[in-house]
This record gives sequence, structure tokens and C-alpha cells, in this order.
Amino acid sequence: MSMNRRSFLKSSGGAATVAAMGGCASVGNSGPRVVVVGGGYGGATAAKYLKMWGPHLNVTLVERNAEFISCPISNLVLGGSLTMKDITVSYDALSRKYGINVVRGEASAVDVEKKVVRMANGDSLPFDRVILSPGIDFMFEDIPGLNNAAAQEKVLHAWKAGPQTVALRKQLEAMKDGGVVAISIPTAPYRCPPGPYERACQIASYLKQSKPKSKVLILDANADVTSKPGLFKKAWSEMYGGIIEYRGNSRVVDIDVRTMTAKLEVDDVKADVLNILPPMKAGAIANPFITANKRWCEVNWLTYEAKNVPGVHLLGDALQIAPAMPKSGHMANAHGKTCAAAVLALLAGEQPNASPTLSNTCYSFVSADKVVHVASVHKYDEKDKTMKTVPGSGGVSATSNELEAQYAMTWAKNIWADALG
Amino acid sequence: MNRNLCCVLSASFAAVTFSVAAQTPAVPPPAAAPPPPAFAASNMTPNGVRSLAATCAACHGTSGNSVGGAVPGLAGVNKEYFVTQIKAFKEGKREATIMHQLARGYTDAEVSALGDFFSAQKK
Repeated sequence: MSMNRRSFLKSSGGAATVAAMGGCASVGNSGPRVVVVGGGYGGATAAKYLKMWGPHLNVTLVERNAEFISCPISNLVLGGSLTMKDITVSYDALSRKYGINVVRGEASAVDVEKKVVRMANGDSLPFDRVILSPGIDFMFEDIPGLNNAAAQEKVLHAWKAGPQTVALRKQLEAMKDGGVVAISIPTAPYRCPPGPYERACQIASYLKQSKPKSKVLILDANADVTSKPGLFKKAWSEMYGGIIEYRGNSRVVDIDVRTMTAKLEVDDVKADVLNILPPMKAGAIANPFITANKRWCEVNWLTYEAKNVPGVHLLGDALQIAPAMPKSGHMANAHGKTCAAAVLALLAGEQPNASPTLSNTCYSFVSADKVVHVASVHKYDEKDKTMKTVPGSGGVSATSNELEAQYAMTWAKNIWADALG
Repeated sequence: MNRNLCCVLSASFAAVTFSVAAQTPAVPPPAAAPPPPAFAASNMTPNGVRSLAATCAACHGTSGNSVGGAVPGLAGVNKEYFVTQIKAFKEGKREATIMHQLARGYTDAEVSALGDFFSAQKK
């Protein structure tokens, strides 16, 4: 089995190389080797920009999934206005246009001393620099009743867009009119601050049309809505009055899958569909680089090198955030570019950019055609050695509106092309 | 302290700010002004400007080449037009949903350098 997988990987890598040689990008040269683990918003962007800005590099991107499926706007699949096809993008352009060696497989560990990424199938990928963009893993152990495979098939997170997105939509379709959908949100920080509130809107939008006697109950471990609170609350009261109920300070500490009950610190809540977002931490391959709260990786914000192991770069949701920095796809994309520039500089023996800027925009669909945003611009504070928002910049939508729904869809297409096209 | 606080995710301090913001959508008055950030000087080298321009790409396309739709591309833009429009966004003279908020994150010198960069990009 491992021999088969290994030879498959080798031949698929070879196929990518041959395909790339037909394009404009140079490949198979003797330039420095950079291995990027994780082809989400952070890793795919880093790989593309490395090759775009440094065509002499040998860049390998390791990704476990066959295609990129976007978490941002995936809530619209739950609401019913988009399908999975609308949020799925191929990795082909990265190999075809840029000459990146895209390896499909599971990276299991980074050997920092030997400078190789070890693959689950026994292969190893040598590197001069390695970039990890592993996203998040779920801390199922914090919700004992959910800490087994059978429970996880029935009670979904759908917080990594993919099969669970489809499965959650099916649960909503199968629910009786008059049912209760409970969405639980962990204590911040977690991936995509406004995402759970957008999800409540999208599910409520579907229920309002198809099962109007049903309810959406938001069980938030945080004291209040953590992103765009005024805008979401306005949408809930104006568009989904009687459907969405919000409860702050309501941390789910356990569940009973048999009775579909969420156990809070003070009482229990029964639901027809339980959508539990467990607490999150950096993806497993980043474990040796976790330095904050046993969950997140601290980095040098000029180079994105791990604080505890220089030479290993980290991106995206796995990071211990700087003040007011969201764990978002847009932010991971911004990390990816800053890191790519720094890796290029370091490999050339130059100083990395001492003044990086990051921007962020998170659009949320409060209905199929109305959107609200939060935006920010972050610059490097050389005294505190962290990223800070520029005073006077950033903000949220004045009110939900249809124009920004168009901007949000174009944002999605442009950021996918920026990372993958 | 400004509206960016709605991104702050930690602890009850943020939550208190949120509930205030929920009732008054305008900028909440600062309780105590934090010290001004000690931002590093802008990097105006070609690679520095290239990285700065990359902060526009998620919405406006790689090197300013938008794939189409509602957000305009920036590649090949007239520099003077670009600089004038960003200034108008900053000053609230051009109506916007988001660009007035983002434009205020860039200094005038950075905007000028971005104008040079995007005007030189091929469509």
C-alpha cells in the first residue's frame, strides 16, 4: 500500500513537473527548495507568490485535498444560494502556470535538523526553508460526548468547508418544520470571527422560506457577539425576528448525542440539529511550534518564523494573533505574501522588509443578497514588535446592503485567483 | 481605540466594548487614549512597494488585475487619477462602502508609490 502510494505520489509529482515545463515558468532547476505545507488561503498564496517573485526557486506545495474548497462564503451553501461547485477551485494553475510541484498527501512531521518534511506515506521532502500553513484542528477532548468518531458523524462542525458542509445542509433539509438548530461558538479566538453569526443568518434565511416554524439558537461562549455585533443584531431583529435567538455566556461543555442535547454550564438545551464548533488550535503538524496557551504559534511578524524555532515559517489561523488581527482567509492570504517576500530575502542573504503592511476584509452575508463588512489595515510596530491597526483606518459597513454582496462575490473570485490562479 | 476593536477577540474587555458598540454604531469614545503606535518607516524600495501593492490584490486582483465583477482592476491605472481618488476616499469626498476605511491605512507617500506601481502594471 505504501509502495503504491509512494510511486503514485512520485509519478504525480513528475506529471506536474512535465506539465509545468510546457508553461512559462522555469522548473526543475537547482534553486533553493521551499516546501509549503497546507494549500489553503495562506499556503497556496505563499507558494504562488514565492514562484511569482522568485522563479528560480523550487517550490513544493503539500495538500491533503484534491481541490481547494473555500471556507469563506461556504455558509451560502447552507443557506441554499450556492453549491459546492461554486466554492471549489482547482490547484492545477499553480503547477501549470507557476511550475509549483503540487503534492497531494499528508505531511506528518517537520524534521528541523535534517531539513525534511516527513510524509505519512514514508516519503520525505527536503527543504532549505519550510512554511507551514496548517489551519486549525478541533479540540474534541474539550467536549467529551463529541470525542469519538460516531458522535462526530452525527454532530457536525462544518467549520472546514467540504463534505461536512454538504452533510449539514442535508441535516437542515431533513429537519421537521418547527425544529431547533443550535449553533455553538467557542471562546475567542477561533477561526473566522463573524462566521458563526453569518451562518445563523444563512440557516435562518433557509428556514424562513422552507420551515418557518423553526428556530436557530446561537449558544455563544463569549459574553457578546465577537464581530460586527451591531450589524448582526440588527439583521437578526429585522430579518429573522422570532427565528434567531442569541444567548451569550453560553459555553457548551458537553453533548449527549443520543438525545441531541447540548450541556451548558448552567442548563441543557435540546436541538434537532446540533452544529458544534469545538475550541480550536493550530493544525497538528505545527505542534512543536505551539508556544501560546498550548494552542497557537507565536511568530516573528517580519519573517513569520516560529518564535521557538527560527527557520520554520508559519502562517494563517495557526498563529497567535496580534491585537485586532482576525483569524481569516484574507489575513492568511496577507501573511502568505509577507512570508514569501521574507523567505526570498532570507534565501538571498538580504534583510527582510522591516515595514510590512497587512490588510483585511471580512464580508458576511446576512441574507442571500445583503452583506456587511469589517475591514482593517495593520502595520508593524517596531517598539512592540507586533502588528497594530493604523489609527483612523478600518471599520464596518454603515448598514447591510446589496452593493457589498456584489463586492463580496468579486472578493471571493479575486482572492481565489490571487492564491490559486 | 476605534472601530477595529470589533475584531478584538480576547476576553471580557472586548465584550464590554462590543455591547457599547451594539447600541451606538458610531465610534465609541476612547476610555483612555493608548500610546500612538511606533510604526516602522515605510519601505519605498521596489520590493517594499511590491509587497505594499500586494495588500490590494485580494480584492483588486494579483498585480491589480481583477478577474472582473464589481471590483475594478488597478493595473494600468492613470497615476494621477489613482492618487486623486484615494485622497477623495480618505477625505470622505468620494462615496464608498469600504475604500474610505482602507485608504486611511496608507500614507500619502505610500499612495503615490502605489500609483506608480499600478500604473506600470500590464493589464
